[in-house]
Amino acid sequence: MKKYVLKRILYMVFVLVIVSFLMYCLYNLIPNDPARAELEGIKKTLKPEQYEVMYQQLRDEMGLDDPILVRYGRWIGVLPEKRTGEFNGILQGNMGYSSFFKVDVTEVIPSRMVNTIFINVFVTILALAITIPLGIVCAVRKRGKFDNIVQVFTIIGYSIPIYIIALLFIWLFGVTLRWFPVMGIKTPGSNYTGLRAFLDQLYYLALPILVMTFASLGGMTRYVRTAMIDVLGMDYIRTARAKGLREKVVVYSHAWRNALLPVITVIIGWFLSIFSGSVIVENTFGLNGMGNLYIIGLNNHDYELVLAVQMFYTVISLVGALIMDLSYGLVDPRVRVDK
Amino acid sequence: MAKEKNKKNKSGLFSRLFGNRNKISVTEEEKIQSPGRMVLGNFVRNPLGMTGLIVFIIIFIVVMVGPYFMPLDLSYQDNTQTNVPPTLGMMSYPKNTQGTLIDIAPGTTYAAGVTDEGRVYIWGHTKISDKIDLADIPEEVSEAFIVKIAAGYDHIVALDDKGKIYVWGNNRLGQDVLPSELQSAIASGKNLGIIQIEAGYQFSSALTEDGQVYVWGNQNMCDVKVKSDIKGRVKKIALTTYNYIALLDDGTVSYGGFQKNAISEIPETLGNNIVDIVATGNTCAAVDSDGKITVWGNVTHGENNIPEMNSKPVKLYGGLYHYTALLENGEIVSWGDNIHGQAEVPASVNKEPNTQVFSGFYQNYAVNADGEINTWGLKGYLCGTDNLGRDIFTRIINGGKVTMTVGAVSVIIALIIGVVLGGVAGYFGGWVDMLVMRASEIIGGLPFLPFALILSAVIGTAISVEQRMYLIMVVLGVLSWPGTCRLIRAQILSQREQEFVTAAKAMGVKERSIVFRHILPNVLSLILVTATLDFATCMLTESSLSYLGFGISPPTPTWGNMLTGANNSIVIQQYWWRWIFPAAVFGVCTICINLVGDALRDAFDPKSAER
Repeated sequence: MKKYVLKRILYMVFVLVIVSFLMYCLYNLIPNDPARAELEGIKKTLKPEQYEVMYQQLRDEMGLDDPILVRYGRWIGVLPEKRTGEFNGILQGNMGYSSFFKVDVTEVIPSRMVNTIFINVFVTILALAITIPLGIVCAVRKRGKFDNIVQVFTIIGYSIPIYIIALLFIWLFGVTLRWFPVMGIKTPGSNYTGLRAFLDQLYYLALPILVMTFASLGGMTRYVRTAMIDVLGMDYIRTARAKGLREKVVVYSHAWRNALLPVITVIIGWFLSIFSGSVIVENTFGLNGMGNLYIIGLNNHDYELVLAVQMFYTVISLVGALIMDLSYGLVDPRVRVDK
Repeated sequence: MAKEKNKKNKSGLFSRLFGNRNKISVTEEEKIQSPGRMVLGNFVRNPLGMTGLIVFIIIFIVVMVGPYFMPLDLSYQDNTQTNVPPTLGMMSYPKNTQGTLIDIAPGTTYAAGVTDEGRVYIWGHTKISDKIDLADIPEEVSEAFIVKIAAGYDHIVALDDKGKIYVWGNNRLGQDVLPSELQSAIASGKNLGIIQIEAGYQFSSALTEDGQVYVWGNQNMCDVKVKSDIKGRVKKIALTTYNYIALLDDGTVSYGGFQKNAISEIPETLGNNIVDIVATGNTCAAVDSDGKITVWGNVTHGENNIPEMNSKPVKLYGGLYHYTALLENGEIVSWGDNIHGQAEVPASVNKEPNTQVFSGFYQNYAVNADGEINTWGLKGYLCGTDNLGRDIFTRIINGGKVTMTVGAVSVIIALIIGVVLGGVAGYFGGWVDMLVMRASEIIGGLPFLPFALILSAVIGTAISVEQRMYLIMVVLGVLSWPGTCRLIRAQILSQREQEFVTAAKAMGVKERSIVFRHILPNVLSLILVTATLDFATCMLTESSLSYLGFGISPPTPTWGNMLTGANNSIVIQQYWWRWIFPAAVFGVCTICINLVGDALRDAFDPKSAER
């Protein structure tokens, strides 16, 4: 097993290199000339010929005309910079310079990452706490009144795009009932500390958290229910019941563990979609999270920032895939992933 | 008893509509059916699924066929019709005024009328902005005896029997600042003998019986000056959106202001026997005593396509882009722009001779000899209009076609790739599995948003709207297969360990046959459910992309980009029709697709039907 995990991690690095190279190539397709940008300030003081000479010199110094593999190597940090001769890439912690925020990308990301994680932790806990029991209960009482009602709601929740849910929630809770604030991240002018600050922040983030939780309820409940129903129809469940086991044991021990296989796939995929799903919600509510940062970068052609955020998403998705594959073996011993 | 019977009938109707399994007794045997028939039977028997399918098919047909009946002009916008709420009663004048209206002034989305008792009525959509509502008639106007009324873009001008002029509505740009002569006359109670009042875009005009013209309003937008050589000689004035022309006492036409433009270049062929002049938004027309009509100005909507007339035109009326002429025999002819049906005179109008016509913007009111009022033109909008004055209903229909096409094509692409690769990876395992899974990880690691953006930045404006649509389809399809692939692989991973596969292997069945004939049918229900659900998901993704502004870009409508502008509390609260209708149609559509997916799953899987 250890060998398998090690092998998978090596694969992961390999995939990461390929993805990052692809991304780097794509971003290089965008017309962008840092040498010209650097000379823009002194352009007026120079004669055209002088400018042209300086420009070519700078291009050469920056290594802009080198093969793309060489430039990629510099960006990653395995090849030295042409101008300084130092290694200064992602591996050295240099994620690039954000042309929009006018600071290094590494300074922009942390505070926003905290916001995103703050929201997503709540959404994940809330959603899992609601959906898994709900899905199990629905599967056990399938075609009952309760199940039918929940089914209708999950279909509605699953079908409506998250931004429509956001619009509806803003309209209902923000504008009409005025229960929650629509915008902002804390009470303006307040200076709370400790628990008070935490609760205040929670109050301001209640609407996006509610929206994201609500949006994820439908799909997850359906998957849990479907998986459970499939398993509950199996012969070994009948056997377990025939043995006289208590219904609780049958459902939660015999059925649930077996239903977990398809669910795991979805849960992990869904963990990841929270990162990208928050793009829309953060954009709609104007929250300072990763998703919003991403859109800001895209809208303002701040590609070094986008590239960095993108790499973050890629790492998350790769780690998620690894965990997903390993978890197959953990929940279903019949599946030999390391075969 | 009767109630019970009723209930029975209802359930009978229900089961006849959706089919119902015949109850058979224990001793009977069920007829053996082919699997296809059974699936169909199971599906038809599911009321939720059938309802979903029927509703979806209706929406599908409407959005696929509808665009042929409601073609969308992508460049269309109309600043007179912005943010109009859903209404179809823009021309429904109050019923109690029937037969008493002596003057009607049709405005952009409203109309104002005056009764023979001097009372003012206003109907239609009267809210100009949050604060300004034209229906708030000033108290002094309600008290006065109004004889004439004129409606402009965002203001109303009224004249009472003592010669006093009232202006209300938007007055922020000097619409209510009367010229000093008029002001002093009104202040001293002198009656100047005003015979005509008119209102244009943000300016107004009054004409006295001794030929004096007064013009006032927004001087930056409108040519509100009066040339000295027409002073005291004017018989009639006609206002375009920003300018005006005057009919002089010698039967010639003169441009009133000082600007040089298409209106001021009065045709030389016009002669000096003009009996009536009129103006639309950007053109002017004159009719001479022989009934010859001449049109000049910026002709954009066929204002100069004057139709054949049975009789001599005696009076002309102008809307924003259309003309209406009253003939000598009482018939009415109309021509010009017909986007709201304003140039299409209903046959019933010409059954009886008409005596008077009131036209303006997109509305027409014809009074016949019996005093009845017939209307034609812009009734309103079923779903309102957006911030550019475009009809939301038309955009929903046309946007649906785009959204559905994109969703369908991309899900087919994704499904083919996903099922083939997932099946192969799951069954064969080993290096094939590794290769496919790494590929799916790479694709999954490539995020959709920047991919779409980079492609649009690189290929950018070089491609047409249609090509961009294909681009989104392919990008969506090629990027969304990893999910399906992983799901299928996971299912097959557990299927291949099952006994029937071992048995098939032991019997020497070929590998390909095992995958496609033994394992695939077992995951068919999953594939079908995934396909329908993915169709909804692809539509959602496309709309989310468009919502963020990275998908199909406006003015091409999709259900996603119609909601882009709705993302603020003002629109959410005040212009609710701009997001509720697209959101509702989209929601219903995706819900139906998911219901169908569910019903399909139940129908395909006999085991689930028994459960």
